Amino acid sequence: MRIEDHPILGKAEWGRKITLIVDGEPIEAFEGEPIAAALIAAGHRVFHYTTKRNEPRGVFCALGRCTDCVMTVDGQINVRTCVTPARDGMVVKTQIGLGQWEDLQVCGEKEE
Amino acid sequence: MKDDELICRCEEITQAEIKEAIKFGLKTMTEVKRFTRAGMGLCQGMTCGRLVMGILARETNQPLSEVKPCTSRPPVRPVPVSVLANRVTDDDQN
Repeated sequence: MRIEDHPILGKAEWGRKITLIVDGEPIEAFEGEPIAAALIAAGHRVFHYTTKRNEPRGVFCALGRCTDCVMTVDGQINVRTCVTPARDGMVVKTQIGLGQWEDLQVCGEKEE
Repeated sequence: MKDDELICRCEEITQAEIKEAIKFGLKTMTEVKRFTRAGMGLCQGMTCGRLVMGILARETNQPLSEVKPCTSRPPVRPVPVSVLANRVTDDDQN
């Protein structure tokens, strides 16, 4: 679900259409919108599972404070999807607990 | 607020656990934090800090204004290590 016409903020302005890969499945998104917004619009509700109780978590505060929406994005763990803008081809994965590093591309170089 | 309700969502600490810990004689936020781990998770107490302060004030019969929050240390918001290490990559400039 998307709010196209907000009573206070007015008509929504979206970037170009892009594709995110979420747990291996492509979903449609708009460039620059928060990853979480695209996921909610595509019907995804569970973003990660907690460390101790393995409980599902999704968007809670939606402004980057609570870290309930963290996911593994492009191999980087604990990315707050509600404040991270979507880019074309991003690989987003549901995270278990605190996650596991997949590929150290964060610093711009891979470990040989 | 129920006792089995989660207060710290990151470390998954319930109100009952915090109350139980305060019975051991804890009086400050820092003590509660170190004893229960509430506020030591990913969000660093941004969500539960105020709730824990409320519980502590109620359980120890002191006014909320007397309860000092935990010491805040930078960075206040999560940043990648590359920012602190002053590493600029092509990725950062995009």
